[in-house]
Parts: sequence; structure tokens; C-alpha cells
Amino acid sequence: MKKIIGILAIAIVAFSSCKKDSASTESFTQLEKDVINDFVNKTALPQYDSLASAGAALNTAVINLKANTTDANLATARLAWKHVRTVWEQCEGFLIGPVEEQDYDPNTDTWPTAFGQMDSLLTSSNPLEVADIQNLDLFLRGYHPVEYLLFRASGNVPRTSAMSFTPRELKYLSSLTADIADNNLTPLLQSWTSAPSNYAQQILTVGDASNPAYKTRLAFFIDIAGEHGMGGICGEVSNHEVDGKMWGPYSGNNNQGDSTITESPYSDNSLNDFRYNIIGAQNVYLGLNGGKGIKDLVAANNKNLDYQIQTKFTTAINSFNNITQRYELAILASGGQRLQVKQTIDAIQDLESILSNDLVNYLNQYVKD
Amino acid sequence: MKKIYVIVPLVFFVIAFSQCNKAGYFPDSGYDERLSGGLATETTFDESASALSHMIDGLGDRDQTVHSIGDATFSHTFIPPADSLKASIMPFAVLGPIFNNISCVSCHRNDGEGVPTAGFSNSGLLVRLSLPGFDENGGPLGVPGFGGQLQDKAMIGTIPEASVQITYIDTTVTYLDGTIVILRKPSYSFSNPGNYMQLPPNVMYSPRLAPPLVGLGLLEIVPEQTILSFVDATDANGDGITGKANYAFDVVTKKMELGRFGVKANTPTLLTQVAAAFQQDMGITSFVFPQESSFGQSQYTAKLPYAYDTDPELADSILNYTAFYVQTLAVPARRSVSDPDVKRGENLFTQINCAGCHKPTMQTGVDVTKPILSNQRIHPYTDLLVHDMGPGLADGRPDYLANGNEWRTAPLWGRGMLEKANGIPYFLHDGRARSFEEAILWHDGEAKKSKQQFMQLNAADRANVIKFLQSL
Repeated sequence: MKKIIGILAIAIVAFSSCKKDSASTESFTQLEKDVINDFVNKTALPQYDSLASAGAALNTAVINLKANTTDANLATARLAWKHVRTVWEQCEGFLIGPVEEQDYDPNTDTWPTAFGQMDSLLTSSNPLEVADIQNLDLFLRGYHPVEYLLFRASGNVPRTSAMSFTPRELKYLSSLTADIADNNLTPLLQSWTSAPSNYAQQILTVGDASNPAYKTRLAFFIDIAGEHGMGGICGEVSNHEVDGKMWGPYSGNNNQGDSTITESPYSDNSLNDFRYNIIGAQNVYLGLNGGKGIKDLVAANNKNLDYQIQTKFTTAINSFNNITQRYELAILASGGQRLQVKQTIDAIQDLESILSNDLVNYLNQYVKD
Repeated sequence: MKKIYVIVPLVFFVIAFSQCNKAGYFPDSGYDERLSGGLATETTFDESASALSHMIDGLGDRDQTVHSIGDATFSHTFIPPADSLKASIMPFAVLGPIFNNISCVSCHRNDGEGVPTAGFSNSGLLVRLSLPGFDENGGPLGVPGFGGQLQDKAMIGTIPEASVQITYIDTTVTYLDGTIVILRKPSYSFSNPGNYMQLPPNVMYSPRLAPPLVGLGLLEIVPEQTILSFVDATDANGDGITGKANYAFDVVTKKMELGRFGVKANTPTLLTQVAAAFQQDMGITSFVFPQESSFGQSQYTAKLPYAYDTDPELADSILNYTAFYVQTLAVPARRSVSDPDVKRGENLFTQINCAGCHKPTMQTGVDVTKPILSNQRIHPYTDLLVHDMGPGLADGRPDYLANGNEWRTAPLWGRGMLEKANGIPYFLHDGRARSFEEAILWHDGEAKKSKQQFMQLNAADRANVIKFLQSL
């Protein structure tokens, strides 16, 4: 009998000393609010600020190119274009709010570009002022017509010299970049920081039944994990449908690879686009600028899930290093790197699955409001 | 064996099996009122901008793939043809030569409705045209040089048919309690910036806002007899509502079929609806409509130089997949059903006889290819009939059996999510109403009594009716 009591006593002491794995309800609620606060102030707003700056820099570079049409200025403009794409693709990690609701996305990032129509536009009597750009159909407006003009000449042939620009092309180009910067990227930032949208404030106060963005913190987290956030952009890049950014060209032409339907083909920037899409999703997960991210929510109760997600992000992003050819060549059955491309697509699909399923399930389980 | 041991079990079995529900009988208590689309309801209660964009549950792997391809097509930007393109590698380079917009989602934003403007990249309003009289099938008579719809955009170097200008005149409605609501009545004019031929002076026109795509697959298989049962041609119950079924020529079956879709119930099936939208709104031909909308017009020649671009431009499978996509979109679940204000609003909705046209409940028939849609108890809040809505809303343009005053009862399910999916919600055929309240106040004709009874409610009850509509 004494032995039994002794064993029981030891067991009671031992189990009462176990540390609880899960955060208390109160502290988790505060963590949710901290993550939302840091998402707005340390991830989203800084990135939109960078985007507005990058758009302005592109516009400046094109103004300089128009004033002084040299190969050096063309090279600068091309780099500026690639830089704005780097930032934009990361911002696609959180396609919530005004970027879609106020059409900044379709205004700037419509694909495909109707370059055949561009040639007709350039020979037309359209004045091609900025106001005229706003009246064009979307396939003649935004990043990709700029890309076409910077990297290609009429007839979709490579532009090898700044001297090949015509005055009309420079006029169109400068109006396009002004439209991007002044009519879209700067107002996009302002839609978050200022009235009437003040979207940042809407996100900072999610969880109220009257909140126009999200009535609950859970609804916000689900959206940012899935459809309009991390999972959504990973799916857009890797899904096995005709519109999958990577899969479409990879599987096209009866699985021989179709390089004519890749996005950003004129500048050989496709792989960068895809990579920075995933990096953008990672930014939301990890947090930026020392702020908290979704990872902090996950790690609070399930360190294993957090580890898996972070590992899959790293695997997906690093897999791009194995594709050393430009995408238009890498997807080709003959002389390409289809194995490496498929591995990257699979890695991103794997990541999308854990985000859209396991992470969403976790959020449904632990975020209570 | 004692007879009692045989009789008792037999009696037991008879009693037990007689309690089984007869096929076709659905007691109210067995249903969750949030399931507006039955099994085809989206049950994650998504209240984001994607609320109208979910696939129905229960599709097999292949059907999910078909839905996804249809989704991709619906979202894709179409561009005009170009020299260095080949049909085999650019199936989307077939837009034009005249069109209204460049993708389905440009008008049906987030699978919702359009913006009631014309000529802009985000415009979702178009204008149907006809001359007095009827075509060989009793439908609208096309306008020479224009056809049955005005296309206000064109390939560069090609002339659009016209540009549309929309202006609004405000009118006020005052409730008994003094509350004032401003209604706006649109007025349309047409200009000819490209010097195309002028519209004839006797042209009839009808503006049409792109509607939301809620529950269309379910509405497609409501039995015809059910819809016809809602007709009260002699107004036998004295509520002022008669209703009329519209019948339109279906180009696929080559017969007159019951119209269900379109603001005048002038289209029988989703396949013809989708195919007509491709052809008229984007200039893209298919096996259903293999002739360009610009055929016979000067713009028609603009695509001829592109040898790869032959009619029909859209692959049969892609058209079918797109129609399937629309058919298999889930209905958003109702929200706030236990809110007392919503409950009161629902009761008032019935009491003032909104339900006389906006029928709350019906049952779908059977489509063996879509079991999830089949035999579902649904709550679409429509009777799919056309009704006289009075002179204020009239377009004066008949469309088959629907006259110039008559409009199809708009399904109300999912309308509560339009603000989330599309920002400002727009109601009625031309999007003139910017709120549920404005839409109600435009009701007239057969709906006059209900509108008047709504106006006689106190402010709180009017708000409850609105709250109920917002829960749909």
C-alpha cells in the first residue's frame, strides 16, 4: 500500500510539472492582434511604399530615356522595370483590399499583352497622353506593354539599341510609366494610409462586426493564408491548370513546352516573377522588418507545423536555383531543364497544400473571436 | 406457430416503414435555412470578396478539373489576333473585331455583377438593340449594321459601333415619417466618334448590367412545370400579380424553350447564355454561335488577314467547360438567420407579399450529370417569370413574349454578398439602384402594392426588411 501511494505521489508531482505546450487564450488573442499590427505596419505598408517608390523610379528612368535616348539610359530603365516587378510580385503575397477592389492589379498587371494592337496604336492618331492611356483596353496598359517597349521592337523582335526607339514609342512608354506610378502605385499606397479607404486602419481593427474588410480576425487570417494570400499566390504559380503561371507553359504544346505563353517573356524575367511571388508569400508568413508573422501564431501551439511550413518555403524558393536557363528554354522538351522545372512546380504545390489545408485548419482551431 | 408471433412483427414493420418520408416530401424541420442552395451551398461562410466564387462540393476529380479550366477561361484576358501568333498556341487571341470588354471577369467581377458604366475597362453595362417588329422566331429584330447589341469597343484601326453616354436625374421619394431617399433615373445617349453609320431613329434599346452568377446551375434545372405553376394569369388571388413565362428560340435545340436567364428571361440555357456572351460581348465565335457578331458589317474584315483565326474560334470543350464552371458555382450560405431583426424582416417580406414574385422556396429537378444540383430544396427568391414593373423601369423594348414593361424577377440569393464581392452593389436591370432600398422603391406595376406596403412600414421595420435581404 505504501508503495502504491508513493508511486501515485511521484506521478502526480511529475505530471503537474509538465509545461503546457499551448499559449493561454488571453495571450494568444494578444498575439493575433500583434501579428495583424505587424502585418500592416511592418510587412504590407513598407512593401507598398517600396512599390510606389519603384514605380516612381521606373517613371524617372523612362523620362530620362525619352530625354536622352542612350543605351545606358535604356539599361537603367530596364533594371528599373525589373526592380518594380520584383517588388510587385512580392506584394502579390497579399492580394487583399484595394489592389483588387479598386482595380490596381488589372490596371497594371494584365496579361497577355496585345503587342499586335500596340503596333496599330503606335501608327494611329491617338495622342498617347496619360489620360489616353487610362482609356485603353487593359492589354495595352501596365507593366507588360512597358516591358514590350523596353525589350522588344515592332514585330516582337529583340530591341538591341536605344536608337531603335521611335518618338511615338517613347511617348507611349513615358505615358505608360506615368500611368503606372501616378495613377496606380502611389494611389494604391494611399488607399491603405489615407481616406477614404484607409485600408490599413480597416485591417488593424478587424474583428468588429461592423468592420467592412473582415468581421473576425479568423476571416482575415484565413484569407491571408488562402485565397487572397499565401496559398492563393502559390496556387497561381503552380496550379496544374491552363492558367498556372508555370504549369501552363510547361505543359503546353502537348507537354513539349510552350514558350509563347509565359508571362514576362520579353525580358527573360519569368523565373524572377515566380520566385518573388513565393518570397512574397514567405514575407507574410515570417513577417518583415523584425515584425511578427503568421509563423508566430503557428509556433505558439504547433512548432512542428511551423517547422514544416518554413521548410517547404525554403525548399520551394531554393529550387529555383536549379533552373539555370531562362524559363522559355527550360520548359522545352528538347534541350530544356524540364525535370528541374517540374521539381520546382511540385515544391510550390506542396507548399500551397500545407498553407491552404494544414495552416487553414490550424487557424480554424486556434483563432477564436 | 402462434399467429400472434407473425402478426405482431408484421404490424410493427408496417408501422415502421409507413413513417418513412415519401419521395418528394421535405418537411421544413429537416432543413437548415442557411443552405440557400441545398447541397450546392458554400458552407465555409466566406464573407470575403471570393464569396461568390466557390465550386460546389462533391464534384469528382474530373469535374473539378473541368470547373477549374472553365474558371481559368472565365478569368482569362482575350486579345485581338496578331501576325506572329498561331491558333494552336494562342487560343485567347481571337477577340473582336468589335466587343464590349476583354474578359468575362471584367464584367462579372468576382463572379458578381458589373459596374454600370460603358466604354471603360471596368465597365459592365451593355446595350441591346432592336427595331420594331419580330424576327422569324418571334424575337427582337436586329438593327441593320448593328445587330442585336451595341459594341462600343473595337480593335485599333476598326470603328466601334457607337459610344454610350449615361447621365442620371435624381428624384426623391419621401416616406410617411419624412425620411427622404434619392433615386437616380438613367438616361442614355449615343455618339459616333468613329463616324460609323448612325443608329436609325426608331431604334429600341435596352441597357443591361452584367448580373451575378449565383445559383445559375440550380435555376437551370428547376422543372418547367414548377415555374409555370407560379403564373396567375387572371390574378385569381387578387394580389395584383399575374406573371408570365417567356419563351425564346434556342439555337441549339432549334425550338422555343422556356426562358430562365437574362433580365427578360430571354435565354433558355446557360450554354446559350455563355455562348452568346462570348459572341456578342467579345466577338468570339463557337459551335453555338459560329458567325461573328460583326458579320455583314464593315468591321467584319478586320480579322480576315489573320489566317489562323477561323470560326468557330472557341473550342467546343472550352465553351462547355466555361458553361460548366458557371453551372457549378456554389450559392453563398445565408448569414445571421437567428438575428431577431432578420427574422422580423423575413416575416415582413412575406406579409407585404414580396414573396409573391420573389418565391422563397422551390425544388430542382434531376440532372444525371450533376447530382449535387439535383433534387435540391433551394431558396432563390425568384419565380423566373417576367412581370410588369411599371413605366419607371420600362425600356419599351419587347424581347420575345416579354413586353417593354416586363422584367424577370431577379433572384435575390447571394445579393447580400454583392457589397463584399463588388464594393458598391447595384440593383435592377441597369444598375440604377445603389441599395436594396432604392431597388424596392423603383418597384411598380404588379409590385406596386408591395412597394406601397413597404413604404407604410416604420423606419425600424423597413430596416429589418433590408437586413433580411442582406442576409441572403
